[in-house]
Amino acid sequence: MKPFDYFSPKTLSEASEVLSKYNDDARMIAGGTDLLLKMKAGRLAPKAIINIKRIPDLRGLTFNSHLTLGALTTLEEIKQSPIIRQYYPALSSAAATMASVQIRNLATVGGNMCNAAPSADLAPILIALNATAVINGAKGERRVLLEEFFTAPGKSVLGVGELLISLEVPKQEGKSIYLKHSPREHMDIAVVGVGIACRGFNPLTQVRIILGAVAPIPLRAKKAEEEVMGGSLTKERIERAAKIAAEEARPIDDVRGSVWYRRKIVEVMVKRGLTGLVNGN
Amino acid sequence: MVIGQRIPKLDAPDKATGRTVYGHDVKLPGMLHGRILYSQYASAKIKRVDVSRALKLPGVKAILTAADNPPTKFGYGKDNTPIKGDVVRSFRDEVAAVAAVDADTAAEALDLIEIEYEPLTPLFDVRQAMKDSAPLIHPERKSNLFQKYKYSHGDIVEGERESDVVVEADFELPYVAHAAMETSVVIASFDHRDHLTLYSTTQIPFLLQRDLAEALGIEGNDIRIIQTAIGGAFGRGLDIYPYEPIAALLARKAGKPVRISFSRHEEFLAAPMRQPALIHARAGAKRDGKITFRDAYALLDVGAYISWGSVTPLVMMETTASLYRVPHVKFEADCVYTNNLITGAVRGYGNPQSTFYTETLMERLAVALNMDPVDFRLRNANIPNEEMPQGLIITSCGLKECIEAVAARADVGSQRSEVGSQKDSRISNQKSEINNQKLKRGIGFASTLNVGGGARIYKSDGCGATVKVDDFGHVSLITGSTEIGQGSETILAQIVAEVLGVKVEDINVLNSDTDVKPWDVGVHASRTTFIAGNAAHIAAMDARKQLFETASELLKAEPESLVTRDGKIFVNDSDRSADLAKVARSRHYREGGKVILGEGWYDPPTKMVDKDTYKGNISATYGFGTQMAEVEVDTETGKVRVLRLVCANDVGRAINPMAVEGQIEGGAQMGLGYALTEELIVKEGRVMNPDFLDYRLFTSADMPQIESIIIETDDPQGPFGAKGVGEMGGTPTAAAIANAIHDATGVWLTQLPMTPERVLRALEEAKK
Repeated sequence: MKPFDYFSPKTLSEASEVLSKYNDDARMIAGGTDLLLKMKAGRLAPKAIINIKRIPDLRGLTFNSHLTLGALTTLEEIKQSPIIRQYYPALSSAAATMASVQIRNLATVGGNMCNAAPSADLAPILIALNATAVINGAKGERRVLLEEFFTAPGKSVLGVGELLISLEVPKQEGKSIYLKHSPREHMDIAVVGVGIACRGFNPLTQVRIILGAVAPIPLRAKKAEEEVMGGSLTKERIERAAKIAAEEARPIDDVRGSVWYRRKIVEVMVKRGLTGLVNGN
Repeated sequence: MVIGQRIPKLDAPDKATGRTVYGHDVKLPGMLHGRILYSQYASAKIKRVDVSRALKLPGVKAILTAADNPPTKFGYGKDNTPIKGDVVRSFRDEVAAVAAVDADTAAEALDLIEIEYEPLTPLFDVRQAMKDSAPLIHPERKSNLFQKYKYSHGDIVEGERESDVVVEADFELPYVAHAAMETSVVIASFDHRDHLTLYSTTQIPFLLQRDLAEALGIEGNDIRIIQTAIGGAFGRGLDIYPYEPIAALLARKAGKPVRISFSRHEEFLAAPMRQPALIHARAGAKRDGKITFRDAYALLDVGAYISWGSVTPLVMMETTASLYRVPHVKFEADCVYTNNLITGAVRGYGNPQSTFYTETLMERLAVALNMDPVDFRLRNANIPNEEMPQGLIITSCGLKECIEAVAARADVGSQRSEVGSQKDSRISNQKSEINNQKLKRGIGFASTLNVGGGARIYKSDGCGATVKVDDFGHVSLITGSTEIGQGSETILAQIVAEVLGVKVEDINVLNSDTDVKPWDVGVHASRTTFIAGNAAHIAAMDARKQLFETASELLKAEPESLVTRDGKIFVNDSDRSADLAKVARSRHYREGGKVILGEGWYDPPTKMVDKDTYKGNISATYGFGTQMAEVEVDTETGKVRVLRLVCANDVGRAINPMAVEGQIEGGAQMGLGYALTEELIVKEGRVMNPDFLDYRLFTSADMPQIESIIIETDDPQGPFGAKGVGEMGGTPTAAAIANAIHDATGVWLTQLPMTPERVLRALEEAKK
């Protein structure tokens, strides 16, 4: 690992200042479960590391008119939180599919978003739940729909000096589900992840189908959504929507799966997800 | 009775609480950190090497280039050098090495070394490498074919003529990594006499002395090897690899001790791998369920330099020729150089590969005969006290008992009427479409044959031991064998404790220093319990004889009337006794006194195989096992879940049932990975998944229920009747799972690992 400067700011403005000073050469660290691996492998050598764990504004998990997840909320907290289990069970179960207890106790939701891996498990379900990213920078606070947060693998809309404060998730009036496919049952990353949230039932009045790991960024399968909106939701329509979602996916061939296989799995996962929502499990 | 007790491993508490000292923990005064620079090309000429910028980096103490190589080549093929000079032949080729004050400085120095390459056309495909027109990996060898193996018994033509059914298939098996928790590590240090001390995780300390001497151009007598605690080995440490002489050469050049410890990435690149294999195999059987013949050809990639990947056919042919009673057998293998990674052996040494094709062909035969697979296997099972056509002399043999024990747990036999047919098996009929998902269940069987009484691959298969009894009744076993996590320290201590009548925790096992311990071939071939166990037994008996000699004076009784018990020596059938401590003291504190030092050497009554026919009794006894896998296949995603794995093993006698179960479960973990998830993906000579993110071991959370069944057959030559078990836990697993997948879905898988994508492709092909 290459040497680096280390900062541990206690306020957002201090953090912003250091970030701006180092321009693109500084990295924030919370759990470090993505960052340190890259640094140890020599794929990343930032000039400065900014520990953001002492900034109180980034903490907290609250629920009133909506759910607010501070960027430092750990995956294990999301998995365990009684509030999330009750009102956003799919979010809790998405966190449960990730890594191991030890890693989940370190890794944060903010890190999972800002690392912007196409396979990030929390992204599809949070986008399906229509979450908003709250961002702070030199010019103050701004809000971006999480759907528009990701721009490329490893990249987001965060500008120089900006950091993700929290995620706001609206209260849900319908049901949601996250399905993940990976070769190994535990401690594996998604070959395909599918987050679905819907409102109404027969007809569906609203549905959001988000595909993970099959495009450079989490992908909304809008044509598949259209297929199942309104009218009576039959098995045939679900199967058609699943096929459409598979066509909408833009996967690549890599060591984790071929284009052919990833499309197959998108189809199966979307079908199972929609069927599960309809059947209430 | 200490034998047969469930005794937790004696070294476990220290390991679990972080007290154990591994090679990565060793720090010597002034020690430097070594790092190796690997080639940028799979095949290239080296035009220029410039280390001048790296040398100027503060903290760099020595840089090694090919100019520092001793004149001799080393390795089994005599084709390797520490640093590569004119030509590189794979991405793992060492092109320079640095010793610096810390690891980061050494890594930075590597970036400053300039090497100019002229790329050559690489050879990655074994079939291409076999062609006459192929460029030569080692031009002095005249051919890329390093070694050809040809074995036969009976008459394959006759066998085929007798057959009512014949099955055949092509198999493709992957690279697999040892994935030991501890990565490779070595520390080299020279003293004022220029004698080398090497702290190493080797499995062959005494052979490594010879190999290192050759690689370094010094005398074996000038090398001492100290084995630090070994955090997993699985066959990785069976040969010399370049990082070992590199550490020594760096230490000599810098005048300071040097440690090289691999990163995980480096471990996946530069440690030897389980050999990938392309296999074509056929087998036949008669209507009455008797196997008629087996015929297999294996095309094997040894990589760019020779290691034990060139010897795996010896084990493959044993499975092919002697697992079950087969009258006509032919086995051929070609071991071929390529520009790929060095291949070696991982737990089973070719047996996981050969058991996969052998046992899936067995299942195909049962299906073709419309015969129950358990019944079919029983009709052909090996039997006790039989010399096989290959020359193996089977003595104790519990294969039949293993098959029956496993089948009883599977609740099959007469109930499985439509086994393996295109229709669903009985199990899957009951449970298909679980939760609206297309899940199908099936069960499959596979057996294994493994050497269980050493394996004479060198002229000696011996091991030495001494047992020392001192004041306070302090007992030390000094054994030539090595603890690699398999539990040998505990097993050997139990054997000595049994003979001397002391508690197992009162035995100290010393096994880590070539200057102290007696000679041994190494830890491989599941040989330690049998060979080192017999040696320890002989040494303990000798020590007991010396104790009885002195005790008979003290107790005024004949030595023949003495017994050991509870740390004392008793006159049989009486309460007259003397403490071990007292007997030892009495022997020491007298005129003309003596030490109590029992000596043991055991070399089994076996033969090396004939160099032309490959026949001969290589092991003093053989271990057997059978596994039954119950799987659930998601026919929409191809994902296979193993619900149960039932494992029965004939271990002769379980000296420690808990340790035997540990070996079975550990073997199953590696077998499950081989079957379903583990594959080092090598594309054009490059490792595509050199980390635990994409190299998927079965984690504890992924493990199915493992049901261990210990079959005891009381081996006539084993220590207290025991034979080896170390490797067989994982050898039949992939075949059992493939057979279970067939039972569930009607589809045969011939490529490992059986990833969801491969299973789904096979299911889709079958639909066409």
